[in-house]
Amino acid sequence: MEAESGEPVAEDAELIAGILRGDSGAFAELYRVYRARLHQYALSLVRSRMEAEDVVHDVFVGLAKQASAGRAPRELSAYLYASVRNRCVDRLRRKPERRLEEADLELIAAAPGDQERVELRLPLQRALLALPAEQAEVVVLRTWHDLEFAAIAVLQGTSVSTALSRYQYGLAKLRKELGVHGR
Amino acid sequence: MDDDRLERLLKGYRLPEVSRALDRRVMAESHAILVRARGREIVEDVGHSLLHRLGFGYLAWLVDLVTATDAEYDVVVI
Repeated sequence: MEAESGEPVAEDAELIAGILRGDSGAFAELYRVYRARLHQYALSLVRSRMEAEDVVHDVFVGLAKQASAGRAPRELSAYLYASVRNRCVDRLRRKPERRLEEADLELIAAAPGDQERVELRLPLQRALLALPAEQAEVVVLRTWHDLEFAAIAVLQGTSVSTALSRYQYGLAKLRKELGVHGR
Repeated sequence: MDDDRLERLLKGYRLPEVSRALDRRVMAESHAILVRARGREIVEDVGHSLLHRLGFGYLAWLVDLVTATDAEYDVVVI
């Protein structure tokens, strides 16, 4: 596994063992590895920066509380993604008519010199957010999180073939949208 | 644009920045939780070894038995 900066990091099991010993450094490392991914995932689900931050905060503080009681998840990555998803779904259930905070929302970022991606960022992001929620979720998890379709299917409570179809339908719609923008 | 090119284009985007305020919030709260737990553990260890030294090892054993054993109970619907 690699951190956001591309540096090699300790394996999840080592980090969890460290956290169980009360090592704050191991917790900081684990947070560094997962923070941006979980934040983007939460953002893609709740579509509000503030709520996504609250979800990520609650997930990590919940993990610290569990570890302080001597309990730790067996599959850390699966646990973190499922925790984010469950908390987002809870929030969406509580506020079903949510306004899309598009002005505030940055789901993907382009490097400043990358002209093509800078130009296409907004239409792509708009198209991504316009997809049915399950399709957008699969595209996000597969593209930027490198999750296997099997892991995505477990998260969504569906079959691998359904997850794969959702991805393909999602890509087809994004491609159509880019076609409108002359690409 | 074919699927491969679209996938490459998408993968070239980066994840959005996470706010420093969130980092500070998570790290401060988690650190406090872990430090409290570590403190509790040290106090428990000291208590245990003290009981052993004073010849009350059975008390430490009893405390462990009570705190580490899952309670078993049934709900009886009347």
